Amino acid sequence: MGVMSIAERSTSSDPLVHIEHFGMSFGRTEVIEDLSFEIGRGETFGFLGSNGSGKTTTIRALLGIYQPTRGVLLIDGRVFSPDNGDRLGYLPEERGLYQKESVVDVMTYFGRLKGLGHAPARKWSLAYLERVGIADKATARIDKLSQGQQQKVQLGVTIMNDPELLILDEPTKGFDPVNRRLLMEIIEDQKRAGATVMMVTHQMEEVERLCDRILLLKDGTARAYGTVDEVRAEFGGTRIRVDTDDAVPPSDAYEIVSTEQGRTELEVGNDADTSVILASLVSAGLAVRSFTPTLKSLDDIFIEIYGADAKGVE
Amino acid sequence: MMRSHALREVVTFEVRRTLTKKRFWIATLLVPGLLVVIFAISFVSGSSSDAATQAQSSTRFTFEYVDLSNIIDPALAKAAAGTKVASAEQGLADVKSGSVTAFFAYPADPTKQAIEVYGVNDGVFGNGKYSTAATNLLKASATQKIGSPELSVIVQGGATTHTTTFENGQVAGGIESVIPPLLYLVLLYIVIILMGNQMLSATVEEKENRVTEMILTTIRAKTLLVGKVVSLFVIGFVQMVAFAVPVGLAFVFFRDKLNIPNLDLSALQFQAGPMVIGALLLVGSFALFTSTLVAIGAAMPTVKDAAPFFAGMVITLFLPIYAVSLIITSPQVPIVQAFTFFPYTAPVTALVRNALGSLPLWVAIVDIVVLYGLSAVVLQIAVRIFKYGSIEYGKKVSLKGVFAARGIR
Repeated sequence: MGVMSIAERSTSSDPLVHIEHFGMSFGRTEVIEDLSFEIGRGETFGFLGSNGSGKTTTIRALLGIYQPTRGVLLIDGRVFSPDNGDRLGYLPEERGLYQKESVVDVMTYFGRLKGLGHAPARKWSLAYLERVGIADKATARIDKLSQGQQQKVQLGVTIMNDPELLILDEPTKGFDPVNRRLLMEIIEDQKRAGATVMMVTHQMEEVERLCDRILLLKDGTARAYGTVDEVRAEFGGTRIRVDTDDAVPPSDAYEIVSTEQGRTELEVGNDADTSVILASLVSAGLAVRSFTPTLKSLDDIFIEIYGADAKGVE
Repeated sequence: MMRSHALREVVTFEVRRTLTKKRFWIATLLVPGLLVVIFAISFVSGSSSDAATQAQSSTRFTFEYVDLSNIIDPALAKAAAGTKVASAEQGLADVKSGSVTAFFAYPADPTKQAIEVYGVNDGVFGNGKYSTAATNLLKASATQKIGSPELSVIVQGGATTHTTTFENGQVAGGIESVIPPLLYLVLLYIVIILMGNQMLSATVEEKENRVTEMILTTIRAKTLLVGKVVSLFVIGFVQMVAFAVPVGLAFVFFRDKLNIPNLDLSALQFQAGPMVIGALLLVGSFALFTSTLVAIGAAMPTVKDAAPFFAGMVITLFLPIYAVSLIITSPQVPIVQAFTFFPYTAPVTALVRNALGSLPLWVAIVDIVVLYGLSAVVLQIAVRIFKYGSIEYGKKVSLKGVFAARGIR
């Protein structure tokens, strides 16, 4: 059977990434217990978890760097091989480039390895550098660039040759807010162009902005998996901020999460009627200055799931 | 399957980035450059010395002499402004008084006793003219006694020989047939010494700079490593040429002036068998050392950590040289046999024996098969180490870990 690239097989309606009962152990340490999920074509997928939860291990196993202890990991219906990965873009967590070479030479080299001709690879590289504002660094050695500039070059190498599948492991790590926004725009461009994106990040606002579906990995299993709204619904409920100097009485209708001077936070179930709760507080004689119900954020859910594990999260 | 365009790109990238580095050319041309400087100094110094010696030889001065050997021809002595005196005491006194410039006392047997030379001080270098004049007069007088300049040259050891030996009825190769295949050994040493560090650091850069994961999802580890080994072959060839060209030019154009031994290149015999076997041994040896050094480099986090292992490789490379007299005279002794068959001492031992004609064909075939086979095995191990090491950033890779790791494809 001939080798087909990801792009050649992309007309299929099957999911682009398929992981089923994946398990991974290093010696006696079990990193991934039993993990299954899929990523559809054109989808942006947030792969979330605290540090050490096994996200990078899963990606490395998916990309053939690790051999899985058990389970099936497929990209476009087959085990990944660099031979058919011309249109994979991978930005690893541990990343770097040839430090002593010029920016354009390194980018052209990776473009050539991904199947581009020399001239198109060089032309694309120069256009990209222009877009991200470092065209004047094209002939500079990589080690003469700032960390942020190097990150831009790495992202450029990742998205060369219009990747159909982009795997980004903490893409905004080390970026300032301005460049983070630029990077988000580039990822959105790729998404609009039809790329499937698998993204590891600890920035929940990025997840809420970009991701169609998410998976939260904990202790080697999927703790939550679905669309952002589905995960919110599963773990969420509503938070109510009550500004009052009076003590909020306990009730089966809500749970008191925190009490500070002049402010109490309540948590209620998804089905709760907040107007009834407000009425009960007022009828109990509390002087309520404001009553603000909000959906629980992904940040809150993340902290709820990982608890102490998440302390190390950026 | 290895994608050929990827392999070509790796080779092109690695060769280009090495050959465009000033550091590479400085290192490559350092040795021939030093040779040029040494040759130049030798040339200038030699020219000045020759001129000075010539000037000394032609310098005329008055001298007196006594001759207990009865070899000195009075006519020649007179022509050289010399005067025979009755006693050494008189000659010495005349020198001391400055009435003559020098005095020579020829002993009864000049082959066993030194000629006593006295003279008016003319500086350390200038005083040399007295000895030169004394010995020249003796030589001229001796030649005069022999009566034939040709016989004099023969007596002075000026005769040459040309030896032809036969083996199985055919003319056997002499030293002229040993030199060409022995050049393979010289090339092996030069390339390993010059390129050892480059071999060691072939994969360290990817690890140190965290490039490995990006590159391993773009091309196979084997493609990358084979590409690096091929590029090392190309770079090694460039270094050989860069080294050989200045030496060759010096030999062709400045041989006489630089006192380089006058080797008659046309007399060299390039025998097909030893030349082909030597070439195969050279390439196989280079492949084995390259793949081994690449594997060591892949296991180490930095070049500095890999350096002691390189020293070990160099020792195995030089070890057979300590037994070279045995290799030449007694190739059947156990130590030479062991060196011949142990893969890391085989290159030098086999190349020397091949040049000397003491390497049986079957042994050469075994060595060649072992060198190429082991190179392929070591390269596979290097690939595995590299893949395992690629995710062990900043750590040394243990072989136990590499072979025990299930997590490596």
